[in-house]
Amino acid sequence: MSKKKFSVNGNFKDSINTVKLLTERKKFIGSAPAVLPTRTDDFGVNKVAKSLHPKEQKLVISRIEEHADIAKSYYFKSESAPLAYFKAGQYLTFRLEIGNSVVTRSYSIASSPASALNGEYQITVKRISDGFVSDYILDNWNVGDSVTAYAPEGNMTYNPLRDAGTIVAIAGGSGITPFLSLARAIDQGDEACSLTLLYGCRNSDEILFKSELDSLAEKNGKINVVYVLSHSDEEGYEKGFVGADVIRKYAPEGKYSIFVCGPGGLYKFLETELPKLGLEKKYIRFEVFSSGKKAEDPKKFSIKVINRGEETEIKANSNETVLCAFERAGIEVPARCHTGECGFCRSKLVSGKVYIPEGEDKRRIADMQFNFIHPCCCFPESDLVVRIN
Amino acid sequence: MIKNYDAIVIGAGNGGLVASARLAKEGKKTLLIERHNLPGGFATSFVRGRFEFEASLHELCGVGPITGKSPLQKIFEEVGAADKIEWVSLDEAFRLITLNENDKCDYSMPLGKEAFINKLEEYDPGSSAVVRKIFDLIESIEKTLDFVDNIDDFKPSMIKEIFSEHTEFLKVANYSVDEVLKAFGASKTTRDILNGYWCYLGQPTDELNVIHYFTMLHAYIIDGAVIPRGRSHQISTALLEAFTENGGEAWFNTSVTKIIVKDGVATGVVLDNGTQINAKAVICNASPYNAFTKLMDEKDIPEKFKKEVNARTLSSKGFAVFLGLNRSADELGLNNHTYFIYPNNDNRQCYELSKKLETNDVQATVCLNRAFDDCSPEGTSILYMTSIFAGDEWSKVSVADYHKTKTAFAEKMIDNFEKATGIAIRDYIEEIEIAAPMTYARYTDAPAGTIYGYESSKEDGIVKRIVFDLIEKGMPGLYFAGGYTVRHMGYSPSYTTGNLAAKAAILAMEKEAK
Repeated sequence: MSKKKFSVNGNFKDSINTVKLLTERKKFIGSAPAVLPTRTDDFGVNKVAKSLHPKEQKLVISRIEEHADIAKSYYFKSESAPLAYFKAGQYLTFRLEIGNSVVTRSYSIASSPASALNGEYQITVKRISDGFVSDYILDNWNVGDSVTAYAPEGNMTYNPLRDAGTIVAIAGGSGITPFLSLARAIDQGDEACSLTLLYGCRNSDEILFKSELDSLAEKNGKINVVYVLSHSDEEGYEKGFVGADVIRKYAPEGKYSIFVCGPGGLYKFLETELPKLGLEKKYIRFEVFSSGKKAEDPKKFSIKVINRGEETEIKANSNETVLCAFERAGIEVPARCHTGECGFCRSKLVSGKVYIPEGEDKRRIADMQFNFIHPCCCFPESDLVVRIN
Repeated sequence: MIKNYDAIVIGAGNGGLVASARLAKEGKKTLLIERHNLPGGFATSFVRGRFEFEASLHELCGVGPITGKSPLQKIFEEVGAADKIEWVSLDEAFRLITLNENDKCDYSMPLGKEAFINKLEEYDPGSSAVVRKIFDLIESIEKTLDFVDNIDDFKPSMIKEIFSEHTEFLKVANYSVDEVLKAFGASKTTRDILNGYWCYLGQPTDELNVIHYFTMLHAYIIDGAVIPRGRSHQISTALLEAFTENGGEAWFNTSVTKIIVKDGVATGVVLDNGTQINAKAVICNASPYNAFTKLMDEKDIPEKFKKEVNARTLSSKGFAVFLGLNRSADELGLNNHTYFIYPNNDNRQCYELSKKLETNDVQATVCLNRAFDDCSPEGTSILYMTSIFAGDEWSKVSVADYHKTKTAFAEKMIDNFEKATGIAIRDYIEEIEIAAPMTYARYTDAPAGTIYGYESSKEDGIVKRIVFDLIEKGMPGLYFAGGYTVRHMGYSPSYTTGNLAAKAAILAMEKEAK
């Protein structure tokens, strides 16, 4: 301290002021009521948080709609709490027990956000080759069945602060569903963007929701729909694949954002097509659903799984993800996206080697440093020890 | 199923992680329970596109690169986590800009005592004599707190030492920042600059305890600040790794549903799967608020605990905008690491205005590339904007209005940033994520989305908390750690209280063993 002693109100008053802190505090606590305060869950903020992100949702199938032989739409009501609200473009992850397996699979929500507030979700499931879970759903889910879903997740949503005012959406097959949701949301006034939908199918019979899409485009000037058929030449449709030429033909003047949802083949094709447009990376967004498989002759490995202090030994194949091995063995993992993005399944790789396909490693820097993995996009390359919890 | 441990730690937030790591290091059989799938609580990160965003840390004080005074580094070393974290030192304290044309200012302040005093002299010629005296007091207060910090087992004889050796501390112990700065005769400009950090505690300086604030000034300006290269997630994961390396067990995706109390003593917990865990110590990194309203039977809660919770006020609610920009910091002109943008320099008024969505214009924004440019891919940058809300305005926002409300407030923050700095960022947003109070409630179970624990009000300032923590007994077997406890909120205080809680638990176990 400086030579001259410092005081605030003189030494005497300062001392009194300090001593006062004891009585002030005692009075402060002593005069408060000895009752329980507002419960954390009862604050408006916490109620909304819980409503947006419930731990899980118990749903009942209220209606099933057949789309020729190609796909089925499932409509759900809630068994108890209101359905979690979402942004158009998000997906629901379902938890299923199939035989001895416990699996999670994600499906984009086709219904509008407003319909969730009115108590209904819709997803559409298409029959695909090697679709273990999709086939199971199509063959087994009936009206009145109870199913378990988690809260809506996903980042392929319109954000006016980031995206251009027009979304050019490229849909392939059942990848139409997030954009049907977006079109409905625009029509209901819940999203402010315009939508140009480029919907690729093999032929006109495979187009899902055609009449609704046509009527949305008809009545709402912000919505445009173009069908692009790859395997048939029909009048009133574009012929070919949704590539740079088609996009250029229908995209608006000025800035636009491209959103893509569809099967693997579509992404492969667009990888060479989209660069031709010279768009900045910020204007291109993908929703990727991966199959969790890789083409090769499987080598057999074993995985020691540690979960809450308990150890289990399970079998694994080199051509299937670590998450696949967990699912087969009936080990429950909090997985959601299956693409490495959401990080819910993050686990510690205690020992062993895994392969992560290029572009799918979306881990945090420190997770790489400490050998944490996202089992949904890792393939075993040796015997492993993995700690889930 | 019943299992037995020496200690159970509820929550892997900053306090819980350090407490766990300390207990395991001291050979205690410890179980750490976390309901989320990640360690850290607020101290985490997330990936969007090609960016990894820091979730909450602006700068870390307590690992002082300037003076080498590093109480946190000491803790991290002792528990075996230090060599797992890579620190980057910062040169800059903050750039402070006000929006109000009638109270316009733009101050860029460096870290380091001499550099800070010299820069302040440039903005406020003739100030340095007074500012030096203020720094003398700051350093004197720090000595007292070091003394208190090193008390492992309080004895009444120590009071005598405090009264004879720590008179400066005792004089100002119950004053606000404003009362003391005015007594020094500090000019308005000097006070505006010295008070720049007020938003980090969320309390106006007319009631914020001077000891509390001056300790923070010491930690930042004199000792210096750092950033962990792997974001705060690197600290959290390093602590978890140290904990498991020393034999600790951590269970994620697991919730505690009840703290078991027998005859006024906490003896264990019950988990969401029904498992009962018995332990000699229960370290609670959940807030006392949550413990009392969610985890304990009302009959088990002492009357004093209930009064404490009701007397105190939940502090600021958090809001953040995370931006991944597709231009480099140089290209955009983002030349500063920390931007404080306030409506004006009257922080009481700023605080009152922060109670409403329409009038809240407080923001603290960090450009991480100014700590280390390779935090994002070449040609890009990361901007992380935060605001605080006093009051509970967000509880009025409905589910249906949620997305629009948070997007509108984020837009206002971006507009304010552009207006204050003259830097255009809107067209370069490649990734954006917005965290509202609901987001903090979701991930940390914070009541009303509170990020700063209890308000550091006049009645509940840090000195009163420390004094009463020393002289009053809590519940045997139950130890609180984290942002709602004696040191108030923040990274450094939470790590510290985690360490203190573990030490107290170990001491009690040793006494019991004798």
